Amino acid sequence: MNKSWSKYRADKFYDELIASSGRPRVAAKRVVNLLQTLSEDEMASRRAAAELAIREMGVSFTIYSEGKNIDRAWPFDIIPRVIPARDWARVSLGLAQRSRALNCFIDDIYNTQKILAAGIVPADVVLDSRNFKPQCVGMSPRFGAWAHICGTDLVRDQRGKFYVLEDNLRVPSGVSYMLENREITKRVLPELLENYSIQPVDDYPSRLHSMLASLSPRPVRRPCIAVLTPGIYNAAYFEHAFLAQRMGAELVEGSDLFVDDDDCVYMRTVDGPIRVDVVYRRIDDDFLDPEAFREDSALGVPGIMRAWKAGHVAIANAPGAGVADDKVVYAFVPDMIRYYLQEKPLLASVKTYLCMKKKDRDFVLANLDKLVVKPANESGGYGLMIGSHASAAKRGEFARLIEQNPRNYIAQPILALSTAPTYIDDSVEPRHLDLRPFILHGKETWVTPGGLTRVALAKGSLVVNSSQGGGSKDTWIVEGKR
Amino acid sequence: MTMLSRVAERLFWMARYLERAEDTARLVHAYTHMVMDIPKGSEPGWDILVKILNAEPHYQAHYRVYNEQNVMKFLLADEGNISGILSAIRAARENVRTTRDVLPGEVWEHVNELYLYAQEYAEKSVGRRNRYHFLETVIARCQMVNGMVASTLQRGHAYRFIKLGQLLERADMTTRVIDVGAAALLGNERLHSTVDPLIWTSLCNSLSAMGAYRREFGPQVEASAMVDFVLREGALPRSVKFCLDGIRKELTPLKNNRDALKLVIKARRKLSLFDPQVSSREELHVFIDRFQLILTQLYTSIDHTWFMTDERQASGTLKASATR
Repeated sequence: MNKSWSKYRADKFYDELIASSGRPRVAAKRVVNLLQTLSEDEMASRRAAAELAIREMGVSFTIYSEGKNIDRAWPFDIIPRVIPARDWARVSLGLAQRSRALNCFIDDIYNTQKILAAGIVPADVVLDSRNFKPQCVGMSPRFGAWAHICGTDLVRDQRGKFYVLEDNLRVPSGVSYMLENREITKRVLPELLENYSIQPVDDYPSRLHSMLASLSPRPVRRPCIAVLTPGIYNAAYFEHAFLAQRMGAELVEGSDLFVDDDDCVYMRTVDGPIRVDVVYRRIDDDFLDPEAFREDSALGVPGIMRAWKAGHVAIANAPGAGVADDKVVYAFVPDMIRYYLQEKPLLASVKTYLCMKKKDRDFVLANLDKLVVKPANESGGYGLMIGSHASAAKRGEFARLIEQNPRNYIAQPILALSTAPTYIDDSVEPRHLDLRPFILHGKETWVTPGGLTRVALAKGSLVVNSSQGGGSKDTWIVEGKR
Repeated sequence: MTMLSRVAERLFWMARYLERAEDTARLVHAYTHMVMDIPKGSEPGWDILVKILNAEPHYQAHYRVYNEQNVMKFLLADEGNISGILSAIRAARENVRTTRDVLPGEVWEHVNELYLYAQEYAEKSVGRRNRYHFLETVIARCQMVNGMVASTLQRGHAYRFIKLGQLLERADMTTRVIDVGAAALLGNERLHSTVDPLIWTSLCNSLSAMGAYRREFGPQVEASAMVDFVLREGALPRSVKFCLDGIRKELTPLKNNRDALKLVIKARRKLSLFDPQVSSREELHVFIDRFQLILTQLYTSIDHTWFMTDERQASGTLKASATR
């Protein structure tokens, strides 16, 4: 019997597994009951087994620190997060709805721009953004799909209600860890899965493959699909290799590809050049093609934009899709849903103050200690300030940054993120978490059951990014009574 | 099945490095065993091992004396020594890390485990007490990876380039093993009767060929018969003949294979014309030197034909220079 469970208190936050009464939630009951019967030694040995599995499977991510690339073992907490299928169904619908609206928006922006003409989204917000790529104007990719793969970050407030925190439409990562986390749980806590009916996650690679194949410009039975990686030193290289292997696709680096005089993309092989139909690129727009974007990029493929515009290759996500991946644009997504789909948004967004608006800015500057201030364009949790945790000097610095460049900053209330029991040292303690489901959008829209749960491992911390010391959990969508 | 040139190159080097780690482990294992059998005073020096692997410049830059401790540290645990076991395993792992998408999943897991093992134990295994166990584990784990490749990898380009790397390295190492024997005994003519059989037996053991030899020739160890056996017995998996036959087989289905095949034919002819039964130790040594040159040319041809595609710089493949 493990004592630390009886001392477990979720405080004032919504806890995913334990209700405020101190009893396990219905869906999580069997997980908690079983874990409680494990002694401290047993828990420790399960954790050691998980760490060993991670090392042996080589599940890693790379961080750049002190001028060196370091390959870190993937941080994993053995206690799964449990979400009832009925709760999830609604979230899933909301995510698909959002993805449809965002794709309508991107397609509109690079073509007729009617949403700007209608005054629903301010034109300068979109057209002055560095994520707006004039090179993409006039393109209309198949199915009107631009953001084929989207990773949307969700959080829950103190009542357990889901909110969208941000949509990652450029090169979202993490899905391989979602798959590996399930694999690890199966290896180290097999008895936990015995009495549950958990929605499987491992068909993601085949779903991704069919979606990518459907984009092929040539009507061939097996189109040639390549995953374009910046290389081994990229933080997400593990994932690039993982997905290529699971899809049976080629994992390529920029130097493996070239564009010939016929404006088609080829890869260099031992049998000579072979034409590529679909490029699942994991390189940012700016580095994709030195002819079209940054000239100094050695990672990309010169001429690939030419090939894309000629319709000879599909690129996922489409170049320019990042125009909707901006924290200012985020504030307008509910309006987009109403405008393009004539539907009511199913998922809540976090109240967002746009510093470009004078009224909002004044409010933000007066309430810096109560807000999270975020740059509009960064990802990975960089460059943000959590007002309540920041020093006066830090707040002063952000006030100046906001005054200097109001378009580049937004602010949101500090959310009381939900927690879940997390195995820290030798006891079980509440830690804050978020959730990143993945949405595939081609002819149809499909949402992963669950997603990647990220945990802030430091006590009280709200920063879940693995590049900043976050961990992860296996996420279960379970059938049955709630 | 398509195969990127870059990936083919990395697979080739992964296999070469794994084979190098295994063969170096076999060599050190056999040599250690032999040294214990030879009466004090007449045992050959440890410098032979370094010389055989063409690693003297690097050795002399970092170590002063050729004693057992130094040479073992150099061959087992020195990360800077590209002929050493630990660095060969690390290089193999780096190459698998970037090609794991074309390999069975377990291959990466086991190469990674092998690396973690070597990293932890190489340094501790320099002394005689733990050395055997370490070397045996390295050999066994390398063979496990080979077995996985043999029993699960589809016979396509990936398999082909792995085999090419493995067989080329093995042919090279087998000639070096024979060279150890020749070198150990050169200028030591008066000890032949007692030391000769010990040396050849242990070297033959390092090639797992002793049992086969006995079945063929009986228990008497006869140097020239044994050299002939490990050079030219086409049915013996670690013989040079076997490796060349295998290389030819893997080259045959590849496009643009003319130059490489020509070199294989040249090597086979050289091998068939050399007769160990009538050659002196000096002549054997010269033959091996020349033969290794052809192997180097063969590598260069493979590299030019399938790996180095114009405009592309060799990117990130961890490999040694063609001549060691």
